[in-house]
Amino acid sequence: MDPSSGARSIVVRVEGMTCSSCVQTIEQHVGKLNGVHVIKVSLDDKNATIIYNPKEQIPESLQEAIEDVGFDAVLDEANP
Amino acid sequence: MPKHEFFVDMTCEGCLNSVTRVLNKLGGVQFEIDLPNKKVSIDSAHSVDTLLDTLKKTGKNTSYLGEK
Repeated sequence: MDPSSGARSIVVRVEGMTCSSCVQTIEQHVGKLNGVHVIKVSLDDKNATIIYNPKEQIPESLQEAIEDVGFDAVLDEANP
Repeated sequence: MPKHEFFVDMTCEGCLNSVTRVLNKLGGVQFEIDLPNKKVSIDSAHSVDTLLDTLKKTGKNTSYLGEK
């Protein structure tokens, strides 16, 4: 991560995904939010890795966005 | 109260759960989901537009089929 850009990355645990169309749904919805640079959802690991601009998004708002789509999202303790 | 029928492009159990969750979050709805036919029947005081917007939150192809 380039610290000068101010981008941060978090990993959110996502429960309830069972197929690749669930993955696409989340990537599309969260990916179009302001301040989200990259989102990578893994079906095998049941998580989403999101690189975002902390000025426009906070971990809680990203969690909310995933829950809006209809999945359980849990912020990992390891994230600051 | 009229039942509203919607087409929602669900492909798996996860999609179904996702639809269930957004509807429960909205509240004030009674609904049945027919996965093989990709249909959701909703009994609710909410307007059709509100229900459609809620279903669209799941990011799936959604359309209003009419009253049942």
